[in-house]
Amino acid sequence: MSATTVISGSGNAASYGHLCWSYDDPVDFDRRAREFLAEGIAAGERVWFVSTEQPRNATEKMRKVTSLATALDRGTARAVPLASTYGGDTVDPAAQVAVYEAATERALATGHSGLRVVADATSLVRTPARRAAFARYEHLIDRYMRVRPLSAMCGYDRRELGDEAVAELACMHPENNADQALFRLHACDPDEGAAALAGELDKFNLELFSRALDRADLRPVDGELVLSAADLRFIDHHCLTRLRDHAHRLGATAVLRTSRSTAARLVELLALSGIRVEAAR
Amino acid sequence: MRTGAAAGHEGYYHEAVCYRSDAELLAVAVPFLLGGVAAGEPTVVSFGARNEALVRAALPADAPVTFLTGGDMYARPAVAIKAYRQLLAEHVADGARQIRIIGEVPRVALGPTWDWWARYESAINQVYDEFPLWSMCAYDTRITPAPVLSDIMRTHPQVATADGRHVPSDTYTDPTAYLTETRTLPPDPLQWTEPVIELTDPTPAQARHAVYGADRGGLSIDDVEDLVVAVSETVTNALRYGRPPVRLRLWAGEDRITVTVTDGGTGPKDPFAGLVPASNGSSGGLGLWITYQSCGHVALHRGPDSFTVRLTAGNPHFTV
Repeated sequence: MSATTVISGSGNAASYGHLCWSYDDPVDFDRRAREFLAEGIAAGERVWFVSTEQPRNATEKMRKVTSLATALDRGTARAVPLASTYGGDTVDPAAQVAVYEAATERALATGHSGLRVVADATSLVRTPARRAAFARYEHLIDRYMRVRPLSAMCGYDRRELGDEAVAELACMHPENNADQALFRLHACDPDEGAAALAGELDKFNLELFSRALDRADLRPVDGELVLSAADLRFIDHHCLTRLRDHAHRLGATAVLRTSRSTAARLVELLALSGIRVEAAR
Repeated sequence: MRTGAAAGHEGYYHEAVCYRSDAELLAVAVPFLLGGVAAGEPTVVSFGARNEALVRAALPADAPVTFLTGGDMYARPAVAIKAYRQLLAEHVADGARQIRIIGEVPRVALGPTWDWWARYESAINQVYDEFPLWSMCAYDTRITPAPVLSDIMRTHPQVATADGRHVPSDTYTDPTAYLTETRTLPPDPLQWTEPVIELTDPTPAQARHAVYGADRGGLSIDDVEDLVVAVSETVTNALRYGRPPVRLRLWAGEDRITVTVTDGGTGPKDPFAGLVPASNGSSGGLGLWITYQSCGHVALHRGPDSFTVRLTAGNPHFTV
């Protein structure tokens, strides 16, 4: 990994192997992809490099790393055509999760410790509708990854998609290298809440936050929509209110578990009903 | 039926008491309070410790007068407004025909932070006007600077005197006019030095990170976190409702962090902005109100081509 690259979410409870990697330089992406896959080989995982490239070209790129070349020869590593993994231009979120669930279980059944995937999904998110479906899928597969040994690095070409589109996808990952995505909405342990919320939320990413909540399609439990926010550094009154309203539409009270004192003070100051702030455990 | 000098008056009857001795203060306060007690009106004192003891000693021991701890009530103007409005609403809900309150801002409020208390004194003429309130604001002329006394006369419609009279203030100014005036902003001495951070057109996130970066551990965690909220709201308002360029400057002193946010606009249109939550849905009003609640001091200044908000966390009572 490049020494100068900052990974949002890295080094905390969110480090379970679901990384968004947006890039301007395909060569840099390929290099990072090889590192990511080689880490998987070292950990005893089956690895896939999923792309729109010809398998021969993708294989050649992987062979630049010795351990990957060896794994390719053994069948532990594969270059997989995107079209064979993701059916159609618009992803079917549930069906796509099922594909990876099955592939992960096959990897485990054949003696691997898990499945690790690098997928350049740029071609699958070129329109708003495709992006919406894929963001939904990102959250669903993130839930699976939180509890099963599947890890993935999702590549997005920023030159083609632009910063706003990349932010829509990056914020659905527990880790990303996109500094424009100031917050992250991702899976947490089921007993910790409906999802985890990390980073910073303010008026300038309020609409992005709204879309992320809609796409995650979180389900309240016992009338409460609990967000585990131990890594939330900032949330302003706009986003607190929006979270409250989102939970209200689901017939629930929003519960934000955070160690930051300001969220609780804002809720009290504004006398916001329908949202409760609890100290993070 | 209202009683005393406010009999027949509708809404808020707002008086200043400018006294030169304990005897003069008691000459006004005691009849005011006992009159309220006699009429069965909620009667409240919100003084600092010294004057509270003075008044307590002058009243019958069993007088049903409520004493609030003035230091808490007058921590910040927007906090005082929120707390008083709640108190007044509760008394009215309980059937009060008039509520009497005598209070004083802490002595320290007569210094560098007076500007926001002057705004408070002016704004409450309107903000409390929905309540049958008769209040007296006590100022000791021996320690009150002349410019502050001038503001007191401009923000109080009436003056109660030690000889029992209630006279109109000749210089009383309508709140909307008073609050729209350009006021001189005494510079914090920290501002005479180079700022430790200067940003042009920062995002709110960059502004927040600047505050965290300037924290040397001299302030409480809550003070720093509250300043982060205030700076974020102020920069957001400047970017959304002001005009570019937006400039953030930050100074870090031993006992405080001072931040100015300047844009090329004219500031909020609502004269009451900051003191009450966004009235009539004015843009950015809620953010400025949160800022007023969050900082040790907030000062607003309109220049010829710019609008500046100065935020202070920690001790804002600097000496020049």
